[in-house]
Amino acid sequence: MEGRCAVETWAQFGFSGGTYKVKILCGFGTDVLICTGTEEIYVFSKRERKITTVLLLPAAVSDLVGNQDKQLIYVACRSGVYCVNLQFLLHRDQSSQADASSSPAELKISQDCLVVGADEVSSLLLVGSVLLTLCQRDASWLLTLYKTPKQTASASHEEFGSFHLPVVSAVDCGAAESNRGPRKSSVLICIHSGYVEASSPSNASAESTVAQDHFHLEPLLFKLLFGVEAALAKSPVILCGLPDGRLCFLPLRLPGSRLRVLHSLEQPVCFVGASVVTETGHARCLVAAGERGRVVLIKTDKASSEGGSAVAAFTEGCVPGPVWCGCMDKSCFYYSTGSDLLRLDLSEGSSARESKERGEETSGTTAAALQSPSSLNVCRVIALAEPACSTAGDVQLLGVSARGQLQKICLPVGREDEGLSKLPSTQVGRSVRDLLSAIGDVCERASVLKTVIKSKNQFLRLLNHAVSISFLLMADTNTDLPIKEKPIRCHAETSWSRLLQKDSLNLVCFLHNSSPFVLERGWTLSITVSPLSCSSSPAGESSSTNFSFPFHDLCPGETFEASLPIAAAGDASFPMTVSCSLIFSLSSLLGEEEVAASFAGLQSSCISLPLSTLTVDWLHALQLNSPTATHKMATVQPCSAAADSIQTFLSSRQLRCSGRTDRGGESAPKPEPEKYSASVRVSSELVRDTLKPKKSSNLDTKESMRNPEDLCLSLLERLLSEDTEGVKMGYQGDKIALSTSVVHARGPNGAAVKLTAKEINVGEEESTDKEATIEVQIESSSLAAVCGLHHAVLRRIQTLLQSATEKAASTKNVQILGLRRALQRAEIQQSQISGAFGEVVSTVQRDRMLLSVYQELRQNPLLIV
Amino acid sequence: MYQPPSLLEKWIQENNELVNKCKQQEAGGGVVSRDHSQSNLRWCSSEFHKLLRKIQGIPPHVDHTQLELAVVCNTCVCFTAQSQFSEAELLLKEATERVLQMTGNNADTSDPLVLWRAVLKSAGNTALHPHVLYLLCLQWALWLAKCQLENIGELQEEMTSLCETVCDGVGDGSPSEAKRRLAKSPLLVMDPKRLTELLQICTSIAQGGEKLNEGRSSEALSDLQAASALPATRALVAYTHLLSGSCLAHMNRPQMALQCYKKALETDSRCVCALYRSMLIYRQLGNTQAEIQALRLLHSTLMLPPASEPVLGGIHPISPSLLLSSQSLSRLFSVPSALSVLYSLALKCVLSGRVTEGVEHYLDLLAALHSEDQLAVDAEVSVLPRMPELYLEAGTALLITRRPADCMALCNEVISTTLELVPEKVVLEEPEERIGGDARGLSVEGEDKVVMLLWAAAAYLLQGHCHAHLKDWKQAVTHYTRCINLVVKVRLKNRDFQPQIPAADVNVKHGKDLCALQRMKGLSLAWRGISFTQMDQLREALRDLQLSLQAFPDYTGAGLWCGEVLWRLGRKHEAAACWEKTWSLTTQTSVEKLPLYLQDPQSGPLLDSVELRLRIQELGPT
Repeated sequence: MEGRCAVETWAQFGFSGGTYKVKILCGFGTDVLICTGTEEIYVFSKRERKITTVLLLPAAVSDLVGNQDKQLIYVACRSGVYCVNLQFLLHRDQSSQADASSSPAELKISQDCLVVGADEVSSLLLVGSVLLTLCQRDASWLLTLYKTPKQTASASHEEFGSFHLPVVSAVDCGAAESNRGPRKSSVLICIHSGYVEASSPSNASAESTVAQDHFHLEPLLFKLLFGVEAALAKSPVILCGLPDGRLCFLPLRLPGSRLRVLHSLEQPVCFVGASVVTETGHARCLVAAGERGRVVLIKTDKASSEGGSAVAAFTEGCVPGPVWCGCMDKSCFYYSTGSDLLRLDLSEGSSARESKERGEETSGTTAAALQSPSSLNVCRVIALAEPACSTAGDVQLLGVSARGQLQKICLPVGREDEGLSKLPSTQVGRSVRDLLSAIGDVCERASVLKTVIKSKNQFLRLLNHAVSISFLLMADTNTDLPIKEKPIRCHAETSWSRLLQKDSLNLVCFLHNSSPFVLERGWTLSITVSPLSCSSSPAGESSSTNFSFPFHDLCPGETFEASLPIAAAGDASFPMTVSCSLIFSLSSLLGEEEVAASFAGLQSSCISLPLSTLTVDWLHALQLNSPTATHKMATVQPCSAAADSIQTFLSSRQLRCSGRTDRGGESAPKPEPEKYSASVRVSSELVRDTLKPKKSSNLDTKESMRNPEDLCLSLLERLLSEDTEGVKMGYQGDKIALSTSVVHARGPNGAAVKLTAKEINVGEEESTDKEATIEVQIESSSLAAVCGLHHAVLRRIQTLLQSATEKAASTKNVQILGLRRALQRAEIQQSQISGAFGEVVSTVQRDRMLLSVYQELRQNPLLIV
Repeated sequence: MYQPPSLLEKWIQENNELVNKCKQQEAGGGVVSRDHSQSNLRWCSSEFHKLLRKIQGIPPHVDHTQLELAVVCNTCVCFTAQSQFSEAELLLKEATERVLQMTGNNADTSDPLVLWRAVLKSAGNTALHPHVLYLLCLQWALWLAKCQLENIGELQEEMTSLCETVCDGVGDGSPSEAKRRLAKSPLLVMDPKRLTELLQICTSIAQGGEKLNEGRSSEALSDLQAASALPATRALVAYTHLLSGSCLAHMNRPQMALQCYKKALETDSRCVCALYRSMLIYRQLGNTQAEIQALRLLHSTLMLPPASEPVLGGIHPISPSLLLSSQSLSRLFSVPSALSVLYSLALKCVLSGRVTEGVEHYLDLLAALHSEDQLAVDAEVSVLPRMPELYLEAGTALLITRRPADCMALCNEVISTTLELVPEKVVLEEPEERIGGDARGLSVEGEDKVVMLLWAAAAYLLQGHCHAHLKDWKQAVTHYTRCINLVVKVRLKNRDFQPQIPAADVNVKHGKDLCALQRMKGLSLAWRGISFTQMDQLREALRDLQLSLQAFPDYTGAGLWCGEVLWRLGRKHEAAACWEKTWSLTTQTSVEKLPLYLQDPQSGPLLDSVELRLRIQELGPT
């Protein structure tokens, strides 16, 4: 920082602490005298930069004044005032310096030097040849005048007179204050009217250097404050500041004058001085400072309201205290609070006054000057003296620190930055703190806003994605693309798994994202599994199950896999519809807690986009019995098998019981359960054509297709393994190579199923052209299995055919024959059905009839060409 | 065989050593300053007190009592000498109680009179009696110092017997006896006999002063005349004569009073108060020459170096001034300061026509005021006028002695000091409100603006007179104009307060101000008119003179000159009428009460009334 003070420690001396008045006395050539409230007075030589002499007095020193012309100092002790001829002392000092060069000489001041026998003198002042002492006697302050003799220094001084001022006990100094500040300090200064420049030699010398306790005040202000008579008599005025806060004055040479109170600071006065020195050498402002920071500035206010004559304006203000000590230079008041050295620039106010010439503004600017002491950042100064202004404009002060160091304090020049450093340190600190905290606040708010904006952006991006995706999906549904080409699609695989010795069918759903968008947070894959035929449920309730899989980012090209159990073995009703949909929920997007807090109703609000509906049929749920597997199942899973058999048994018993009453013949106990069968016939040609493109790459297979056996095999294979509408059967372990065209399997209800594919020739007996046909026969003891499988096989073939629709044109002949026969059969069945409904028979009978019709229908299927 | 001294002997020795030390210091005390002796006293009193505490640490015992009482007395003397009356009184009370305890009497009263009577009775004719009497002496001194004369009156009989006893017995053979018993008996700081004598005359003086104050002059006179025969120092005897004189003056017998004062002066040549009182009598008698003489003497006496002032009490710690500190006495003995005496002298000289002498005194006064030696001493009653007035009076005196340049310099000083403070406008309020506005008591801020204005205006007026004296009429007009400009700034608030208020009994300050204002207005206008007349600007002259007469009809100069201007303008009959009218005003009111500088200047062009009357006669009855 530029405006820093340079503090140079000159000397260190033993120092008991800051409870006493410390005073620095300058003006004796290069010697500086310091009294610190102890019995010692230190003489510091500026030239030699060390303490040359220590004067030892009989009692503690309370004040010290000097007469520069006569080289005398007067020391107020507890026991009286002593007069010491400094020249004599120093002379002796020099002579004795030869032997004691390093350590300061110690000089005892004897009782001979006692000139005034008054004790407890708190302040001294020398005005010309008059010595003034101020002390407190019982209930009054006593200002006593002594005449100093012209010749001898040590002779007793004649008392002229004294002035009393009753002590006012109204001001409560407070124990704390008295401990802290200098004890019972009083201030005595002398004010000269501006006229008297060189009326006495002491004044002349006081003028050359700014004397510590003599000030020249502007004549007008002098007259206003102290009266015309004092001015006419050219009398110096003694101004004393008392610990009770009063500022009293006494025109020294005016006959019949009395000590009068000029002002009361209401706190111990610790400094009185005059400043704002004009070119003529008159101070324009009288300053008094109290110990607790109250400062009064007394100036002339020319533009007064009343009659236009000048009045003295008293501007009181408070500066950050406590004021430990102070000193004045030509324009500034420096004071120390113990923790800082502060400067009050008083000239500003007056210059502002000159420009404005308005009373209120004057006081305003002066008060403003009081408001803004500038910190000089020097701490622990307890005494100040001798402000000296060098030609360069920088000010030097002499200070004593609380640690007993004599310091030279060079103040920065800083003319131009005066305006900047006008703020007091505390204010600067405060404002910096304020600014910092404001910056912090703004930063915090900005970051919060930033995150909000960021999250909003994120949100918007997500929403944008969501909207794009939903558009995409909606477009999909509109255009009816095949599943495989949809940008976001779902397919599934079934697989049997065995857990806790219980087989269960699992469905693994694959969500493939081939869209350019990322499926992000907020998207959920929802899968609803419901049986295709709801009526099968005995209770009639919807037995649909919902699964939802929330997922995080699903990038383009990635696949999400969700595994869900569809059914345990034996308790499912196939086929099942698996509807997949993508759900976008705002709530998951916004974050749980926010939504929960603010939008309770929003939780249910979400966009649901159907993806695809898959059907899991019997074929998917078949458990193929490989020879080994069958065996394994029989051996390894006795429980399951046993359970199955028990179930079979129970059901058969049930059936038997019921059948006993109704169908005695049929429900006769049979060792082997009744076999149901159904078949589907497809023209071999069609099958071959359909299967061909699949294996087009392989020439051998094409050849092998010629073989009917192979054809059957591949058809079965196709039926079992091919995924239809996105669902395919997953195999446990390796893919079972079908060796025969007969497949044994277990249905999901545990029933054994046999699938047979064989080539038969179907045709009219009479017709010549026989159509080669592949018949897929389903046999099982379980009617449900037969029905389910039949349905499943039909569906497969249907899809097979759908994929080969274009081939349909190439069918050579319309099977009119088949149609006819089918018609015939349909008519019979129609009659049978109507008969069944028409006759009043028991429901069991009707069921049976309907079943037989159904069986017939299945047994003699239409040839699919 | 050496026997270690007993405690009693040790204490006696200690006491005696202290007493000797005290006396030694007092013997050399004439040289040492008062402060020094004060600090000695303080030290002594504390030492005595310590000793006393030691002695009183043991229960009262007959053997010790003599010593104890002696130490009590010594301590009390020291305390009293330091004006620590309450401490001394407490000690005395304790001592009397201990005496009573010892003699087996118990007085559970706090009334000191009762207590003392009991003590005196119980002490009876024992060996303690002289010491108890000495204690009573100190009580007497205390009462006197505290001006509790009624207590002394109550115990008048005891006091008289005490005086007899002390003067006959104890004091009588004491020197030889004391020497004989030097080692054995405790010494006393102050000789009882001398103390008693001192107390007696001081009591007489105090009582005389009290009676004089109460108006019982004749009663006081006889007492004082009796007291003047008492053995005492010259100064105290002189006081008795002085007070006798005052009594006589009070009884309206000035010549006898003068005789008494003369006797006082003869007894003690430094009794300045007698001189001052004589001067007052002369003034009362109207004997100006004698008054001036007395003033001159008084001044020179006061200016004598005070170093040779004899210490009234001699070597006694208890001084008469301590005992004669009552308000009424100090009022009676008060003398104005040298400066005010000098001022009175100067003014008297000028007023009595010894202007040159007066001017010298004025200049001396101003020089004294400006000298470095002049110090503001807490003066009792200063009869000095305020500084600017002093300047103006000195200026007037200078002008009278034809030293206009010096006068102008003084006036310049006043103007430069006051002009800045003169307000633009001043309202002079009802005079009743400002009663008791003692100029010196006024706070500085409230220093009267009117006074300031009057001073500045008077200075201009004087400067005008100076120029008129030098016949520099143009300059004179300028300065008179300035004066008028200042004077017209004053607005009178109370309109029914007549401007031509008789200057006779105007004691009220603002009445005085108002009077001065009117007078100044009249003077400045008249003299501007006269100046215009000299410059032959007769119309302006006539206007001014007529305005002057309006403002201050009593001013004869204006009237005469008005007639003169009218005459010169050819309005001879009007002129004659004007003159006649002026002559008919025979008032010439109280010039004495006006400040010197507001009196008609004796310099300048004058009109001879005889010549004017001739002119009227020449004009004839047309």
